[in-house]
Amino acid sequence: MIKNTNSEIQQQNAMSLPPMTKNQVMDLAMDMGKILLKSGAETSRVEDTMMRFCRSYGYYDLNVFCTPTVIILGDESPRGKSRVFRVRWRATDLGLIMDVNQLSYNFRNWNMGYVEIKRWLQERLAQSHPYGNGVVCVASGLGSACFAMLLGSASIYNFAAAFLTGFIAMTLLKMVNNFHPTPFWENFLAGFAIGIVAQTCCLVSPYCTMENITVGALMPFLPGLAFTNGVRDYMAGDLLSGNSRIAEAGLFALSIAIGLAFALKVWTWGGLP
Amino acid sequence: MMMHYLQAFVFAFLATVAFGVLFQGPKRILWRSGLIGGLGWVVFIGLKELFSVHSFSANFLATVLIALVSEIFARIWKEPVTVFEIPAIIPLVPGFGMYRGMNYILQNYVSYGNEVLLGAAVDACAIALGIMMVSGVFRALKTGSDMASQRQQDLLGTDIASDLYVSDPEDED
Repeated sequence: MIKNTNSEIQQQNAMSLPPMTKNQVMDLAMDMGKILLKSGAETSRVEDTMMRFCRSYGYYDLNVFCTPTVIILGDESPRGKSRVFRVRWRATDLGLIMDVNQLSYNFRNWNMGYVEIKRWLQERLAQSHPYGNGVVCVASGLGSACFAMLLGSASIYNFAAAFLTGFIAMTLLKMVNNFHPTPFWENFLAGFAIGIVAQTCCLVSPYCTMENITVGALMPFLPGLAFTNGVRDYMAGDLLSGNSRIAEAGLFALSIAIGLAFALKVWTWGGLP
Repeated sequence: MMMHYLQAFVFAFLATVAFGVLFQGPKRILWRSGLIGGLGWVVFIGLKELFSVHSFSANFLATVLIALVSEIFARIWKEPVTVFEIPAIIPLVPGFGMYRGMNYILQNYVSYGNEVLLGAAVDACAIALGIMMVSGVFRALKTGSDMASQRQQDLLGTDIASDLYVSDPEDED
């Protein structure tokens, strides 16, 4: 009886779509998964999207396993092939997540075949990361400044100093970005730069508050994305991904703290106030 | 009084928009996530200052509000939830407590530093709890045909695979 229902569902699902072979479906699903995971989606979203895509073409024997560092798309049937993709570098691009999500819900209505979807993904990928380095640095400064104002004792001096600190730290990160440092050293450098610049600001102007400037400038580098995604993964039942995301968030926070502490210590050793 | 909360809202709004740009969010969602972030922050400091709620409960309630509004916005505009939630949650992250705890430990006030750090960790747990509860509830409510057919497929089946059914073992390639 189950078998009958399954085949009915499969026929209904696959009826209104342009025909596609299993290899093509696997290829497209893999592409969508890669884009989603590389732009910082939760692993449960990646798995859901890929499974929904495969099943809407009637391939119920394809299974996905995804962690923050690997995607495995396997075929359960006896002579099936499987595909593996290893993710080493992840960035954040909310726009890409939104658009691939739209595609995964709407490709039935858009009536696209293999070539069309592939071309759509290529076009969309060419427009990824809409904000350049300059805009990102200014946004980092603005975020730091606004957060410094939220913490109490709001003054224009704190605003300006926090803007400067956040801006300089992010600019430094973008400058060393070409050398591909490991995330630990990236965050260490950010913490160190924040410590030095904030101390200098306090040395120059007596109206600045060290605490507010430092905390404001730290905010853009705190791993809020990893933390939120990890907690959501726990709730979706992906315990492995949840653990590794939370560990990532803890490691990043620790590396910023170490950089900042190092800067404060160096400042004291130099004999400065 | 009113001015204080208006100022807080404006700065939280701007901070959330800036974080949206940092995460490369497209322009059409920036003001929406900014709205959620400002609302969450105003509720947080309002609970703390007007009703003198403990920082754990204030964090928890503000996070629940942010997550709820994000889920509603996600259903209105048909976008993923995380797109609204991630920038909006950032102002609540207890960076102040972490920094102060670390600073006290550096100055050799270890026990007081530990206390402050533990408070920051508890606030982070409150945020996690808020996100978990709301996303769990909405996950349970999501019973589309998608999920139903998926559950049916997860039942075990032992059908004979058609391409393995050969009468003569020599035929199998």
